[in-house]
Amino acid sequence: MVKVRSFSYSLLQLVAFCGLFWLCNLAVAALHIPIPGSVFGLGILVLLLGVGIVPERAVKAGSAVLLGELLLFFIPPVVSVLKYRALLQADGLVIVACVVLGTLMALVGTALVVDRIYTLEKRMNDKRDQQRHLHDDHHVGEGV
Amino acid sequence: MSDTLLACLSFAATVGFYLLAKLAYRHKKVFWLSPMVAVPVALVAFVMLLHIPLPDYFRYTNLLVLMLGPATIAFAVPIYQQRETIRRFPLTLMVGVATGVVMGLLSSWLLVQIFPMPDVAARSMLTRSVSTPFAMQVTEQFGGVPDLTAMLVLMTGVVGMLICEPAFRLARIRTSLAKGAALGAASHGAGTAKAHEIGREEGVIASLTMIFTGIAMVIGAPLFASLV
Repeated sequence: MVKVRSFSYSLLQLVAFCGLFWLCNLAVAALHIPIPGSVFGLGILVLLLGVGIVPERAVKAGSAVLLGELLLFFIPPVVSVLKYRALLQADGLVIVACVVLGTLMALVGTALVVDRIYTLEKRMNDKRDQQRHLHDDHHVGEGV
Repeated sequence: MSDTLLACLSFAATVGFYLLAKLAYRHKKVFWLSPMVAVPVALVAFVMLLHIPLPDYFRYTNLLVLMLGPATIAFAVPIYQQRETIRRFPLTLMVGVATGVVMGLLSSWLLVQIFPMPDVAARSMLTRSVSTPFAMQVTEQFGGVPDLTAMLVLMTGVVGMLICEPAFRLARIRTSLAKGAALGAASHGAGTAKAHEIGREEGVIASLTMIFTGIAMVIGAPLFASLV
């Protein structure tokens, strides 16, 4: 019974996400907003969650389903590789090489940069936390 | 067999193989059983063996692809849930996203200059480092095609998962958080799954970096596309 209820709850939220997507597509077209309806909708929902108009539990289950099964939604276009059989036979190896090398470059490049920045930001955060603690201790001292 | 029957069969097979692979992978965590590898391979074999014409295959499975729109909106929820991390590491996230977008585009662009390939493949290659819903959305602005892009995005995810550990060791990446950000930025969903294996905070950073990299790619596409 609980399972049935949580299933229908998720389904309802799923329908709500589809409705929001549809509305956002209309809005983007009508207002000539230069970004896709889906990304516009993402921004709107973050905003609605942020100001508390939409409570988290109203979208949590539906979001978990959509993001958990994301792979299922783009499996069909991947089957289109069959359309590109000639391309893949001729250039498949080159394409694979590009993907491997490109991914390696992007991974290592991003990791190296973030490595430095994160160390810096963590040190800044720790310092701030430490100062706040000192400050708090000071107040406690005054109270006594 | 009638076209409609083939179309229904295609839909059932797509969902069926997916659920089966998911179940199998939960029991036995081997690479070739992971849904992102097993399902495309099984489906391509299925379509070829039954000689299903591609238009029939897509008639109903296209409904699944339509869900990428609502799924994009659903990314709002993890952003909201992880707002504390955003507040704590805004610089790390911003730099990670900017580097991710630039490195993703630049690496592909450079490599297709070195390795010549048909134009449509080269152009579909550009957006392969961001999550599928974003990549399929913008690839046409770069002159790519959505289905080829989806395949390249999937390949990038698989490759990223396989090479990340030796790559990080070789590059002497010190902080595990940098690994998370790089996985999210360069290898989207698959990379994020991998980052969750490293640790909770790494997973959170990876998923945020992935989402923001996708958004940045979509919003910046008109500018980037004018440069390449």
